[in-house]
Amino acid sequence: MGQKLAVVITTPPYSNLAATALDYVESALQTGIDVIGVFFYQDGVLHADTNISIASDEFQAAEKWQQLHQNFALALHLCVTAAEKRGLRDDISPTNINPVFTVSGLGELVELTHQADRVVQL
Amino acid sequence: MNHPEQKSVAVINAHAPFSSPKGKDALDIALIFGSYEQDIALFFQGDGVYQLTDKQDPALIQQKDYLKTFSAFEFYDIEQVYVCGRSLKERQLPGQFHIDNVTVLEPAQFAKKLADFQVIFRF
Repeated sequence: MGQKLAVVITTPPYSNLAATALDYVESALQTGIDVIGVFFYQDGVLHADTNISIASDEFQAAEKWQQLHQNFALALHLCVTAAEKRGLRDDISPTNINPVFTVSGLGELVELTHQADRVVQL
Repeated sequence: MNHPEQKSVAVINAHAPFSSPKGKDALDIALIFGSYEQDIALFFQGDGVYQLTDKQDPALIQQKDYLKTFSAFEFYDIEQVYVCGRSLKERQLPGQFHIDNVTVLEPAQFAKKLADFQVIFRF
C-alpha cells in the first residue's frame, strides 16, 4: 500500500467540519504521507475567497491552508465551475481568490484520484 | 475489466434532486470520470432515490432537468447504477425509474457492492 493521499473538500470554511479536514491534512503531512493535492468542490471552494472574514476567535481555515501550502508545498486546487458559481473570480483586479489556490477543473480531480493510493472526502 | 491504471470510483447520491445542487454536482463528477474512461458507478440511497423516480417535471419550479442527462450514461460508459431497495420501500416508491438498467439491491448487497470500489465520493 502506497502513501499517496488526495483529499477532496466539500465543506465551507465556516463549517466546524473545516477544522476536522485541516487537522486531517496537517496530521497526514506531519506523518510524512505524500498528500499529492487537495481538491475543493461545492461550498469547499469558499476556502479560497479572500472576501470571507471569520470572527477572530473562531477557527481560521484560510490561514491554516496558507501555512500548509507554504510549509509543505501542498497543492490546493479549486474547481473553476464551483468557484465561479460562488463569485470567485481570477479575471478581476484585485482577484478575490487567495493566491495559494490554483484554479483547476474537474479533470484535475480525475488526475489526483488516478495518482493517489487513497482519496478522502471531507 | 479493471485496467491496472484505472481507479474504480463510486459516487453515492443521498439527497433529493431539486432542493440542493448536490445531485447535479455528483452527476458532473460521474460524467467527468466516465469521459476519462474510469470505472465509475452510481449509488442511490436515502432521499437520493428520488433522483431516479420517473415522471418528474422540474420546469414547474424553474429548475433545470439535469436528470435528463442520466439517459446519456451509456454514452459516458457509465454502466453501473445501483439503488437501495429499502430506501425505495421506506418512501413507498414503486421502483419505476426514468432510465433503464438500474439494479435494485437490498442493504447488505448494496454495502457489499460499494465495498468493491477503491474510491467513494458522497453527495
